[in-house]
Amino acid sequence: MINIDFDSLEQPTLFDSLASDVKYLDKPHFDLPPNSNPGDFLRETFAHPNAPKPLEFAHGTTTLAFVYSGGIVVAVDSKSTQGPYVASRSVKKVIEITPTLLGTMAGGAADCSFWERELGRRCRLYELRNKELISVAAASKILANIVYSYKGYGLSMGTMITGWDKTGPQLYYVDNDGTRLHGQRFSCGSGSTYAYGVLDSGFKWEMNDEEAYELGRRAVYHATHRDSYSGGAINVYHVQRNGWKKISSDDCFELYKKYYNIAPINKPTN
Amino acid sequence: MSIMAYNGGACIVMTGKNCVAIASDLRFGIQQQTISNDYPKVYRVNDKCFIGISGLVTDAQTLHQKIVFRHNLYKLREERDMSPKVVTNLIANMLYEKRFGPYFTEPLICGLEGPDNTPYISGMDLIGAQVQTDDFLVVGTMTPAMYGVCETLYKKDMNEDELFETISQCMLASLERDALSGWGAVVNIITPTKLITKKLIGRQD
Amino acid sequence: MARRYDQRTTIFSPEGRVYQVEYAMTAIRHAGATVGILAKDGIVLAAEKKTTAKLLDQSTTISEKMFKIDEHVVCAVAGITSDANILINYARLSSQRYYYQYQEPMPVEQLVSQICDTKQGYTQYGGLRPFGVSFLYAGWDRHYGFQLYQSDPSGNFAGWKATSIGGENSPVAQSVLRSNYKPDISLKEALTLALKVLTKTMDRSNINSDKLEFSYFTRIGDKIVYHILTAEELDSFIKETDLEPETDD
Repeated sequence: MINIDFDSLEQPTLFDSLASDVKYLDKPHFDLPPNSNPGDFLRETFAHPNAPKPLEFAHGTTTLAFVYSGGIVVAVDSKSTQGPYVASRSVKKVIEITPTLLGTMAGGAADCSFWERELGRRCRLYELRNKELISVAAASKILANIVYSYKGYGLSMGTMITGWDKTGPQLYYVDNDGTRLHGQRFSCGSGSTYAYGVLDSGFKWEMNDEEAYELGRRAVYHATHRDSYSGGAINVYHVQRNGWKKISSDDCFELYKKYYNIAPINKPTN
Repeated sequence: MSIMAYNGGACIVMTGKNCVAIASDLRFGIQQQTISNDYPKVYRVNDKCFIGISGLVTDAQTLHQKIVFRHNLYKLREERDMSPKVVTNLIANMLYEKRFGPYFTEPLICGLEGPDNTPYISGMDLIGAQVQTDDFLVVGTMTPAMYGVCETLYKKDMNEDELFETISQCMLASLERDALSGWGAVVNIITPTKLITKKLIGRQD
Repeated sequence: MARRYDQRTTIFSPEGRVYQVEYAMTAIRHAGATVGILAKDGIVLAAEKKTTAKLLDQSTTISEKMFKIDEHVVCAVAGITSDANILINYARLSSQRYYYQYQEPMPVEQLVSQICDTKQGYTQYGGLRPFGVSFLYAGWDRHYGFQLYQSDPSGNFAGWKATSIGGENSPVAQSVLRSNYKPDISLKEALTLALKVLTKTMDRSNINSDKLEFSYFTRIGDKIVYHILTAEELDSFIKETDLEPETDD
């Protein structure tokens, strides 16, 4: 068993010595397979001719976030699949990290939800220690550092970290390679290319809030249509000056009937 | 990923009283990408025999064209249509001919057999191992879900309206659990006197 | 002279004739006459039946001389029926192969030409006898609409507006067709003309459904329909058609 040490990643504080007793409560630690490189270990194990099928994690997703004149819109789908099997159509893929920070989930559901919860804990600690809210830049950097320390271990995450701090609305993209990008528009997951198509062609800086919500919703809707691993309902969040707000949750089928004026079954059309 | 799930798809056949039904979804995809949402996997052989072919679509198309070829020659020589039983044996033989390089398809056959129009359904695996049942058969990318709903909703001796309702519910319900099939469905009911074809609206995600 | 040059199909006589082919054509003359007429809205095929033995079981065969090649092509036969069967099977197979390959019906002329290539082969390669059959082909395709073709044992074929094959009185048939054919003839008129031709070439007492076969291609809406007249239809058609009184010339 190896205890991963995160000390090097944290700024030294006055509370370090006090916290040392409760080290195990302060940081997550994991049982690891008895070899030096867990990533290689997994690959070799599943490459064996008699090996079971590789673990299939929930992979399919469409998530997007973009900055516009009124803040940031975050829109995501809610489908969870294991191979062709639809495990759920009502997954929450927007992770409410803190009342001011939002993260999105793409890739492994367990990895995203665990590490973004851990990120929330650290952000709250930062707030208590420093008597001010953490910047989005710092929060996203914490997450990027964590996943970087596990590079090669097989984490699967593609996430957007958003919030409104002293510097205004901020949007970062962080993935399991350790990539951390600051930007104006991001989309992530198997349906992201479709979503980009709608988002990039429909985007303008000046939009009222309703227009922005609808752009996000439509971009994800069209992605769910083409990408079989995305779907369910579309959740839209708005990041505002005083924190985020959940705007809507619409089932894709209802949106389809609304967008294409499909009459309900078993009812005459006229 | 299995080659049988490359394009996705689902198909059900079901018997009723003096009628049979065949339904398929409408999705045509390439792995996770949906290309078309108007692609039925059901083909008419003649007024009393329909087939549904799931699996790799290019093989399904070729198989269907070969069946049409053989059926047309049969009609010219015999001056009558092939019965569903004959169609089943024909397809099973065509598939076994390719025993060592198979068509990646699983066909279902349904129709009305003989002068008294006995309901008949059959299916086979990709190399032509036949199976005949008197209730229902399913093929596709999510057969566990399909078996579940069919087992639950099927009743013996349904009339054509009940059969339509049951096969439609089975199709739509099982498609909810399949990422590679869906985007609507089509249902065909074959009776001795008429043929009913209806499209079902389904989720588009 | 002929004796030396007619044993094998591959040999020309000094006069430039291939006797086996000519004998095959003679064989066809013994068959009943078959008439084809191209109308503006369809094609008529009509034939004289020769095998009408009382004890012959004809319950399983709809037609003795007319064979469907595909939904859009039919042929009428004069000559040795068993030879014809081989070619008809081949034609059906060709047509289906074409459909399988291109997913559209085979153009009529292409089909005729392919059968004739086979026929020709048997006049050239040694050790085989030519097919003792002439065909009339009636068909429709989207390139040239309704078409009528004739082919003989040599493998020659040509498109016709109206023609006949077989029968001892074929010059009579040809001359009746020549003098009565109009370019814009209707299907109804063509049926009547076909009956008139057969009345001239056959014994008058044989003009009834036992000795005749009539069929036609026409277009209903955008569908091409082929119909063989039933015995009742044929008899009532003969009855209502005003045939000219028999003359002795």
